[in-house]
Amino acid sequence: MPLIGAPVRRVEDARFLTGQGRYVADLTLPRMLHVAFLRSPHAHAGIVSIDAHPARELPGVLACITGDEIATQARPMRAESRMAGYHPTECPPLARGKVRFAGEAVAAVLAESRYTAEDALELVDVRYATLPVVGTPEAAMAGGAALVHEAAGSNVLLTRAFVQGDVDGAMRDAALVVGDRFRFHRHAGVTIENRACLADWNPGVGELTLWSSTQVPGLLREGLAALLDLPVHRLRVVAPDVGGGFGVKSALYPEEVAVCALARLTGRPVQWVADRREDLLTSTQAWDETIDAELAVNADGTIRGLRARVVADVGAYSIHPWTAAIEVVQVISFLPGPYRVEHYRGEAWGVATNKAPMGPYRGVGRPVSTFVTEALVDRAARRLGMDPVALRLRNLIRPDELPYRSPSGVVWDSGSFVESLERARDAAGYEHVRAEQERARRAGRYVGVGVACYVELTGVGSAIPASPGAAISTGTEGATVRVDPGGTVTASFGLACHGQGHETTLAQVVAEELGARLEDVRVVSGDTAAGPVGTGTYASRSAVIGGGAAILAARALREKALAIAAHLLEVSADDLTLGDGRATVRGTPHRGLTLREIAGAAYAGAKRLPKGMEPGLEATRFYDPYFGTASNATHIAVVEVDPETCAVIVRRFVVVEDCGRIINPLIVEGQAIGGVAQGVGAALLEEVVYADDGQLLTGSLMDYLVPTAAELPAVEVVHLEHPSPTTLGGFKGVGEGGTIGAPAAVANAIADALQPFGMELSELPATPDRLFRLLSRPRTTSSPETP
Amino acid sequence: MKPVKFDYHAPASLDEALALLRRYGGDAKILAGGQSLMPLLNFRLSRPAALVDLNRIPSLAYIEEHDGQVRFGAMTRQRMIEFSPLVARRLPLLREATKWVGHLPIRTRGTIGGSIAHADPSAEYPAVLTALDGEVVARGPKGERVVKAKDLFVTYLTTSLEPDEILVEVRLPATDAGAGFALEEFARRHGDFAIVAIAALVVPDGARCRAARLATAGAGPVPVRLRAAEQILERDGLTDAAIDAAAGRAAELVSPDSDIHASADYRRHLTAVLTRRALRRALRVAHG
Repeated sequence: MPLIGAPVRRVEDARFLTGQGRYVADLTLPRMLHVAFLRSPHAHAGIVSIDAHPARELPGVLACITGDEIATQARPMRAESRMAGYHPTECPPLARGKVRFAGEAVAAVLAESRYTAEDALELVDVRYATLPVVGTPEAAMAGGAALVHEAAGSNVLLTRAFVQGDVDGAMRDAALVVGDRFRFHRHAGVTIENRACLADWNPGVGELTLWSSTQVPGLLREGLAALLDLPVHRLRVVAPDVGGGFGVKSALYPEEVAVCALARLTGRPVQWVADRREDLLTSTQAWDETIDAELAVNADGTIRGLRARVVADVGAYSIHPWTAAIEVVQVISFLPGPYRVEHYRGEAWGVATNKAPMGPYRGVGRPVSTFVTEALVDRAARRLGMDPVALRLRNLIRPDELPYRSPSGVVWDSGSFVESLERARDAAGYEHVRAEQERARRAGRYVGVGVACYVELTGVGSAIPASPGAAISTGTEGATVRVDPGGTVTASFGLACHGQGHETTLAQVVAEELGARLEDVRVVSGDTAAGPVGTGTYASRSAVIGGGAAILAARALREKALAIAAHLLEVSADDLTLGDGRATVRGTPHRGLTLREIAGAAYAGAKRLPKGMEPGLEATRFYDPYFGTASNATHIAVVEVDPETCAVIVRRFVVVEDCGRIINPLIVEGQAIGGVAQGVGAALLEEVVYADDGQLLTGSLMDYLVPTAAELPAVEVVHLEHPSPTTLGGFKGVGEGGTIGAPAAVANAIADALQPFGMELSELPATPDRLFRLLSRPRTTSSPETP
Repeated sequence: MKPVKFDYHAPASLDEALALLRRYGGDAKILAGGQSLMPLLNFRLSRPAALVDLNRIPSLAYIEEHDGQVRFGAMTRQRMIEFSPLVARRLPLLREATKWVGHLPIRTRGTIGGSIAHADPSAEYPAVLTALDGEVVARGPKGERVVKAKDLFVTYLTTSLEPDEILVEVRLPATDAGAGFALEEFARRHGDFAIVAIAALVVPDGARCRAARLATAGAGPVPVRLRAAEQILERDGLTDAAIDAAAGRAAELVSPDSDIHASADYRRHLTAVLTRRALRRALRVAHG
């Protein structure tokens, strides 16, 4: 039975479920110091003076370091971009001169324990001169607004537009134009494990090791080497077990720079483990966009054009290496969705404010673009009296139109857009659900059905950067596969894993391609010293790019193993099969050699190898899928809205997804369900709230509400499996999709449920208070049939 | 999120605990289940000089019926209340309310005395104590005194108990057979504090209502007894019209605040909706 595609249970689960995982906070080094950061209480203020002496005198405190002092050890980060219309800005490891958001680190206390360090923070005396708080993009763009970054000369850090055809003409000539101002509020990427890092400087050899709860050890190494003036090979970055990332752990953070600098400064290992409050205050946040969008359709429902202006609140800093463009430019890249849109104009503004920095979060841009486009499609269907599924079927890109170049220039290599919608419609029992909805309405209950279709670019190769314009290479990954003399296999990657199950899936790929037994393959990743050069795991890339590299390396080894076995067995390599850890002569199953025997020969050298063959059984290969490949799905949500309490209950959720050739259906299903959970959270619960003065009001998990199992229905997942025609192995990325479709599907379902009240929903999350205000507004149409 | 340094004491008797409170002169905090206190300590919002831990005083955990009252030792865990046959029989409203308290691990540690003394206005137990006209027993240096629910809650997280007093017992009048009860709550998620909750008890008497009890959680700085709404029912009976009128009156009786989860208007609206639902369900329960 082939291993690729098999529902293999995750090999890492035994470790995690029995508490044997090793996270950064579990690591302790001799002489290790704990750091606590003093964080600004003000959103925008000049730093007048810092008196750290009383803090330094507290017993157990080794040092208290300020921004000016650490500046001698580390340069400020500066996220560069090739994008025109982008202004790079600097981000220091500790604030210098001024603070730009509440929570920004101003000083670092190093102490023998975190308790002592936090006691000492209260003794640091910082004098601030408050500055006007830039609270919203509107305020930031107004004349005379205070500047978050004076050096940039403007709070608008970037502008970008994609244009195709004549969208204004299309709007003018269309039978129907639907439009609205949409708002998707600020979101936090909550991981089970808060951010954490530990740096150790070895002065004897001039080497620095950083353990960090990160998705991107490779990117961190490159970034830190430049900031710390270290040669790249003197820096090792390790991501041990990591409790979730979701994009939030894919940036280089000031704390990571700081602990490295502090370890080098003090000569002692330095550990920082964020508490939940710090994580909510300072980790990158997501979305926070206002979108003015219009969709033009013909009377028969054919989409003619789409026009949108997107303004994003990118917060106080442009993050390294993705830049402040990562979220908002993706919105305008993906607004046309899986539809044929001839005329398009998408314009984006990224505006700095005094809030935590904006970064990538599972789905990046597409949860917002899908929310907007799918809402407009539903509204067009309603206005035309068409069924929303029928209108979508009319406009989805058909298989015979692929590859398809979208109006923003993204190429969809493949996709099953129509099929996924039809299958989702059937899996949900769409007609039946509609009939039930009618019955419920007559009984005074408000049930709604919401459909969302999306396509996403995954496994992005070297043709474009994973973040628009980012001045880094993200298109390649390598794999080193080694069969040791014991016949066991180690597959090392530059990727990192923070919950994806790579130890299982990549082992499946290597075992099948090499012909090894699955239990003999060990996957190593997340350590720049242990694998080939790579960047890490983000943007739904690991199965595609890492899997591709694994295939290439495993195939190279298989070929060599077969050549060695053929030599030893005195048969032609063509007469051998290699599988399940054994090379066997075809038709003569008792004749063969185990992988262990072959490996023994490989390391024994010339005596046992074919003439001229290099000894060893190890291969490193790199893979670049160049463009990347399109994953797609349809989500259908069925919700019930209680118009009295304004509660929304998600009754059903159906996902029909196509991630190409499936490596492990259990993991694909887990990704879909987890993503949907976060998408439902985004639609109903999760919202970062700042007060007008820039204070974070959602600084704990009592106030920032993530969904629990009790808020979620059982998610029904159907797999379509159309292998990618453009990637090695036929794999497509699947890590983000669930979060892309779910907010839109839930939003559309709520709007559908509220149709008797004549309501449209244009703001997420749809909190009960928001729905209450919506339902309290004077009716725009007739009152509900059933009060 | 590490607490300020504090002394920790685990006395074995109530007298010892009272002596410790005296010694710290108002600067000590009593640790019961710790489900609210520990986060406050970790956020450094509470900075006591000492914790006096009641968990080693076994005599503080019991449930017994006495003179038509069900009496709870202050350290009785919510989980024990949830599964107590006596509570199920004699205080079904409290049993129902307990299911809304946090999550299972929270109820396993959390205590009835701690929940009431903490006086979170969004918590369920203070609402039940208020609805049922319960009382608590406080022991201090001068001995014991009984405090009525209406005299207990002062404002957010504040009771009329003195710093050197310990809440040792909670007393709730047992519910007569034939009464109907319901607790209706709206929270953002399962297990969260209530946005608004309404505890209701009705004693129907034919078409009339012999007694009605209504109290809120989440609709102001303290639980609010909705006496004027109760009076509508006691005067007009438990007709749909009377229930609607009582619900409307309930919304006028509360002065909720706004926060990031709910505006005052929405909370007021919920007060009416949940009062009506609680009364209707209580009536159904009464009619079996």
